[in-house]
Amino acid sequence: MAIITRRGALAAGALTTIARPTLAQPRYPARPVQVIVPWGAGGGTDATARIVASLLEKEMGQPFNVVNRTGGSGVVGHSAIASAAPDGHTIGMITVEICMMHWQGLTELKRTSYTPLALMNEDPPGVQVNASSPYRDIKALADAIKASRPGQFKASGTGQGGIWHLALAGWLGAMGLAADHVRWVPSNGAAPAMQDLAAGGVDIVTCSVPEARAIIEAGRARSLAIMAPARNPQFAAVPTLNETLGINYSVGAWRGIAAPLNLPAPIAQALTAALQKVWNGQEFKDFMNARGFGMVWGDAAGFAQHMERTDTTLGAAMRSAGLVRG
Amino acid sequence: MHLSDRITGGFLVLLGALAFWGGSRLPGVPGQDVGPAVFPMVIGSGLVLCGALIALGIGRSFEAPEPDDTDATPGLAGRLGRFAPVAALVPPALLIFYVLAADRLGFLLTAAVMVLAAALALGASWRLAVGLALLAPPAVHLVFYRLLRVPLPEGLLAAPWA
Amino acid sequence: MNTALEAFAMVATTEVAIAILASAVYGMVIGALPGLTATMATALLVPVTFYLSPIAAMATIITSSAMAIFSGDIPGALMRIPGTPASAAYTDEAYAMTRKGQAETALGAALWFSAIGGIVGTVALMILAPALAEVALSFSTYEYFWLSFLGLMCATLVARSSPIKAIAAALLGLLVACVGIENPGGVPRFTFGSTDLLGGIEPLPALVGVFAVSEIMRAMTSPLPPPIPNRKLGSILGGQWALTRRYQKQMWRGNVIGVLIGALPGAGADMAAWVAYASSKRFSKEREKFGTGHPEGLVESGAANNSALAGGWVPALLFGIPGDTITAIAIGVLYMKGLNPGPTLFTEKASSMYALYIVFILANVLMIPLGIAMIRLSRHVLRAPRAAAMPLILLLCAVGAFAIGNNPFAVVLVAAFGVLGYLMERNGYPVAALVLGIVMGTMVEQNLVSSLIKSDGEVLPFFERPVSSVLAALTITALLWPAGVWVLRRLQPAHAAR
Repeated sequence: MAIITRRGALAAGALTTIARPTLAQPRYPARPVQVIVPWGAGGGTDATARIVASLLEKEMGQPFNVVNRTGGSGVVGHSAIASAAPDGHTIGMITVEICMMHWQGLTELKRTSYTPLALMNEDPPGVQVNASSPYRDIKALADAIKASRPGQFKASGTGQGGIWHLALAGWLGAMGLAADHVRWVPSNGAAPAMQDLAAGGVDIVTCSVPEARAIIEAGRARSLAIMAPARNPQFAAVPTLNETLGINYSVGAWRGIAAPLNLPAPIAQALTAALQKVWNGQEFKDFMNARGFGMVWGDAAGFAQHMERTDTTLGAAMRSAGLVRG
Repeated sequence: MHLSDRITGGFLVLLGALAFWGGSRLPGVPGQDVGPAVFPMVIGSGLVLCGALIALGIGRSFEAPEPDDTDATPGLAGRLGRFAPVAALVPPALLIFYVLAADRLGFLLTAAVMVLAAALALGASWRLAVGLALLAPPAVHLVFYRLLRVPLPEGLLAAPWA
Repeated sequence: MNTALEAFAMVATTEVAIAILASAVYGMVIGALPGLTATMATALLVPVTFYLSPIAAMATIITSSAMAIFSGDIPGALMRIPGTPASAAYTDEAYAMTRKGQAETALGAALWFSAIGGIVGTVALMILAPALAEVALSFSTYEYFWLSFLGLMCATLVARSSPIKAIAAALLGLLVACVGIENPGGVPRFTFGSTDLLGGIEPLPALVGVFAVSEIMRAMTSPLPPPIPNRKLGSILGGQWALTRRYQKQMWRGNVIGVLIGALPGAGADMAAWVAYASSKRFSKEREKFGTGHPEGLVESGAANNSALAGGWVPALLFGIPGDTITAIAIGVLYMKGLNPGPTLFTEKASSMYALYIVFILANVLMIPLGIAMIRLSRHVLRAPRAAAMPLILLLCAVGAFAIGNNPFAVVLVAAFGVLGYLMERNGYPVAALVLGIVMGTMVEQNLVSSLIKSDGEVLPFFERPVSSVLAALTITALLWPAGVWVLRRLQPAHAAR
């Protein structure tokens, strides 16, 4: 690192350069760590990353600074994490989109471009209908969908090809129907979709239950099922697809911490151990429960497997929905 | 730079046509009749129509006449004489310089160059320009880096509070 | 009565008082920096709220966002750099007043009517929340389509130029909004293989570019403007009472527009300000004065954008549907603090709700003294020589744009929009219409395409629902207006000679 001292030139004295030791660091972390978030400040991913960062800071004794790197629908931030120096001083929160974007030909990046550290959260999609809808349970809805003509039912929840669209496509596929048997109405996120559901504009919204929660609690919508292996203790009344339909289909929007590829093993192990403590800690639990976010843990190997599974499932769903390119 | 309505209108027609053509080539969405192609095509047609009307001079009567600059301009534009309009490109050029140089030179040096060049081009005295270039970047860095936690690049010269 | 007392007790703690004061100053400063918005001010507060009590946490967000929305008007009026898309509607008007030496009247009006708008909005929130929420929840994509289209048509009313050029500029904005992957097909559109363009072009870099950078570009090639008459800075609020009485009708209309549009999720303060400015010009008796430094439009739109801010909390508190980006962040904090949005918030947690109302009112009252201090402080900018102020603004444009997403590409966009804005202004195309197009583009397209998908390509449903038929009629009138005027002028050639 070149260091130019210009103290003489800068007579104002407002500036002093400081030399940074670049010797091999005996202990990690030796300086503040950057936590890159590929999504904007204020969203759910940002909030999760910020609580994880503040708890990691306590755990490891160095500042963990959250930096939002937005742009390119997540591509910019994800590639910033992958292309950082693998020294443990830049890590990031990667999201389910990393298992989707490469299928669409949006980026070369995929799950294998990272050193996985820990899976922190996963929210499965739910199946929500308007409170005045005639379908009291998921079975009635599923039968009605099977009996309907293609395109008669309209569903929403996110943009075309987004995670909740794929959830619907996958569920229809598991029932032996075409991916577009229920027509997808793209929306700008879950909140407008839930609003349109309440206004009677669409029949089904397949966003996660925490996203739908306020409208459900206001008595304007009902959640009929979640597409997960087990019920969510936060919303214990909502059954899984497997319980009611015998369809063992589950996907979810997950968030995990990862580092650039080739992170030295001791650093990776230290980070995973710290993240496990964070995940088990009361503060993280309180935060996740308050937000209604699903708590799912995976260590480095578990996270890697989880990503591989997601990648396959979503790849198949995207292929059936005609979204795979290149 | 004042262009005639014929030129700007013609440009809009061209742009609209390109938008229409580009939109029409977008892939459709399986299972849906209305896809991403519709909107650009609608806008493209609108632009072609508006551009044609503008080029024909319709609606001109609503416009306030543009005041003409006759006084001498201080700084770079005054010295360029006939090529004075080129001076207008200094600010965007400096922004591009910032993007290209900030990572290598660091925020403080890049910002200093930027402020110095802009001030001189606007006709500031050397004393004022150099003073600004020395004081402004550290002040901006302090506010954005410390208070707002914006990760400004460090480059060759780090601020003491970084 | 008991709940009201409880609410007062919840607010009257040292923690809440400090939270309100500190976040007020913070919001005021962030909003006044060009390129930094109320949304950013709020987002940066979230980690702080982890450590605060529920009321104090919400107080920081309510206070800082209200302050930032007002102080976003300051760089707009003084330097022609609107702080938020909401102030872009009347930036030119306020700047024209500054050039006439009436900076304090312009800013005073922004402050005074912002505070009134905020308070009226809060009262509306207290009394009408359930009714407003019901209206908001009945809006489907058909209604939203017409509403956003109507908002877009304001471009032709606001501009002081040929309506055809205004429409062309708005269309250009819509075309810009087409860029990226956030479209109904989820396919990359007009991205030319660039990763940075995938996410689309956000309004903020465009705003900074077309207003601020193009202004600096103009300064490069224009002679020094005559010095602004530097009279002794008068009382900032002195003239406001007279304005309030004179434009009382406009003020109330602005408040109503603000509350109604604000309560509609996704529309928000931006559109409220545009619609209010356009309505005040449309119904004004002195329409020719608009754009030359006339306070009438400022009164209406200044009141509208702050009352919209309060209106935006209606769907947020009742249904957890964010009215704008600020309430989206606030909803997260509400959940974290156990104040789950929903009708039960108004019954089971009534005292907390009342406490929030009190905070709203306090924040808007506090805005006045703090705002006066901020105006007095920032007015010094006008005395700085142009050759010193412009380079600093350029630097702030670069850093501010970078700070949005820590992505240098935003700075490239600022430069590009600077050139575009410069060329447009020189040739009589209103840049404000371009900004409106960019802001509204996604909303117009999303709702148009969603509606078409839902109706299986039929056009009739766009006119069938009662609210949508009214909105459709309004929109078509606004659309045909310029053509009608043009025909009239042709028929009366004597009128054309100004």
